[in-house]
Amino acid sequence: MPLQRLQAVLATLLLLTGALHLACDTDSPQPAASAPSPASAVDVPPTMAPAPDASSASPSSASGVAQALQGVNGIVDPSNLEWPRQVVGLNGIVTIPAKPQRIITASVGHDETVLALTPAERLVAVGSATKSATFSNVPELVQDKPEITRDPETIIEQAPDVIVTSPFFPDEGIDALERVGIPVVQTELKHDPEARIDNILFIGYILGEEERAIRFAAELRARYEALVSVTGAASPQPRVLAVTQYSDTLWVAGDNSTEGGVILAAGGVNAAAAGGIEGNQTTNLEGVIAMAPEVIVIPQPIDFGANEFRQSLLDNPALAEVPAIKDDRVYVVESRRFTTLSFWNILGAEALAHLLWPDAFSDAPSPAFSPAE
Amino acid sequence: MLRAAGLAKLQGYRQAGVNVRLAMGGVTLGLLILGVGLVSLSLGPVAIPVSHVASIVVAFLGIEGGEFSRTEQLVIEQIRLPRIVVGAAVGMALGVAGATMQGLFRNPMADPGIIGVSAGGAVGAVVAIATGTAGLFFLALPAFAFFGAMAAAFLVYGIAVVGGHFSMATLLLAGVAVNAFLGAVVSAIIILLPDNEALREVLFWLAGGLDSRSWEHVRISLPLVVGSAAVITLMARDLNLLMLGDDEARSMGVRVGFARTALLAAAALATGAAVAVSGVIGFVGLVTPHVLRLLLGPDHRVLIPMSAAGGAVFVILADTVARTIIQPAEFRVGVLTAFVGAPFFILLLIRNKRQAYSL
Repeated sequence: MPLQRLQAVLATLLLLTGALHLACDTDSPQPAASAPSPASAVDVPPTMAPAPDASSASPSSASGVAQALQGVNGIVDPSNLEWPRQVVGLNGIVTIPAKPQRIITASVGHDETVLALTPAERLVAVGSATKSATFSNVPELVQDKPEITRDPETIIEQAPDVIVTSPFFPDEGIDALERVGIPVVQTELKHDPEARIDNILFIGYILGEEERAIRFAAELRARYEALVSVTGAASPQPRVLAVTQYSDTLWVAGDNSTEGGVILAAGGVNAAAAGGIEGNQTTNLEGVIAMAPEVIVIPQPIDFGANEFRQSLLDNPALAEVPAIKDDRVYVVESRRFTTLSFWNILGAEALAHLLWPDAFSDAPSPAFSPAE
Repeated sequence: MLRAAGLAKLQGYRQAGVNVRLAMGGVTLGLLILGVGLVSLSLGPVAIPVSHVASIVVAFLGIEGGEFSRTEQLVIEQIRLPRIVVGAAVGMALGVAGATMQGLFRNPMADPGIIGVSAGGAVGAVVAIATGTAGLFFLALPAFAFFGAMAAAFLVYGIAVVGGHFSMATLLLAGVAVNAFLGAVVSAIIILLPDNEALREVLFWLAGGLDSRSWEHVRISLPLVVGSAAVITLMARDLNLLMLGDDEARSMGVRVGFARTALLAAAALATGAAVAVSGVIGFVGLVTPHVLRLLLGPDHRVLIPMSAAGGAVFVILADTVARTIIQPAEFRVGVLTAFVGAPFFILLLIRNKRQAYSL
């Protein structure tokens, strides 16, 4: 398994890790009427892995890089670290002639990945969602950048060297961009951590930042493993329901949803998935009762009435026997960590793990990700 | 003298016929409402035995006895029952308004949205969502939708009476134009919406649904719907005469201008109240009166109350399917009524046409 090989390389790299990058970026849940129990145990091992030191975690040779990239979906020839290089996106084989200096993605999650791998100036324009603190984890880095839409002309105007898009970008738009000679790579966005790390390595290769991508993948893997080492062993695993309300419609996150991936990583059982929900679907109050969650998280922006929704759940007499309501375990959480599909979901998982297993974690904030050079 | 006596006798026979049809239709549809309501009450993601449902309903009516848990009682009383009642009110409103519009326009293809009410309600709701007002307080969205619906109806009517002369043709054309304009307003707002969550809210509202309906929704919609339906039912004779033409109606003592305005206003009010609590649910107002007209004849004294009952049955049934077919997830009622209503309507048209040609 390529990922297992990568894991071995990364474990070695982690041994070389030096300083702890203490966080300035916290991920505690949004204020809510009922806060989780404070973490009381200080004798449990810390579960937040330190970010590996960038200088020491770099693969030592081209062959090391090629080995680390072996088996990554979409890379045609991992040993080719020169330009041009070829990749296979969802839209077919794409040739990238030179190291891209002007990058556009048209997806919040991809923007976040690009900014983790390259200096911010190489991302030349973003969509409005990436600038929004409600949906994006990096709004402060992109406020001054030109804004694009899905209209190909707004993208072409920025003269990008490469465009990395999500599966949600319309095919007609990709055709239009390809017709004017811009390499477009449409990549997958998957919900499990392994696939996400694979995606980071793939995007790193596209951008010519494979070494940084390998280091960053190691950092993320270490954090996931540290988290799972605690949550995977904890039992019983509580049934967690991620539910939001927009207008009067209730939405729950089931199998193959971003929130579902966060719940699983945090050691919970996704109550909606257990109830047969696939992806994000609407339900009703009775559906919430039937799913019998022991913990409810509300990954909904405060501006969109998250606290009011939480209160309405607690106040509804029909829900009084739902375990999460009865035990007052209903939490408003930061929506961008739970709903925007990117590596930042690890912060959502860490925050949720704190809520589910308060005794197993210290109150120290999650460390920040190592910055791109 | 003899002729007058004959006419009176004929009217007596006609009234007796109406009464018979009303009684038969009323009993049938009443039983249907009861049956569909009970089935709907018994189905849902939380499994509740039918015997418990019956006990809860009986207890709800003030008669003690029977076994059930507190949770079962709350699910029935606080979740399923208000939803069914709102569904019934919405169906009733759309059925009555549809029958009224079809009568007023003398066109079986007319529906409650023809005078811009649904589109106006949609604009009101979309504005409430896009500006964030919908999240400020519970009644904001229904209030915006209702006032949007009413404003659109007044606008269309205002255009139709420009110059002091009312024209049904102008009303129809104004309705088409205002509908198109308001549809464009909704599209423009959707295009300009900055975030996906608001967009999702808008699209779901536009698809029509009864999720999370509470007794509050019953309180704000039912009185308006019942009041409007009562007014229209009382004016059903006038509506019958208006179908013969203005001059004939006038000669039979109908105050044509007043009757038409009152009927339009009542239909708009009922539709606005429905749109406010359910979003846009299509096909109910078109299909229900049409089907019942085929079964019970065109007399609005029968058709109006029967359309109310038929619309209620249609929406309760559709909502029951919507909330159980993929439970614990939920389908949208508006999508379902269109899925079921459109093919059914087409089948009916084809069958009707064949029968007409075979005569």
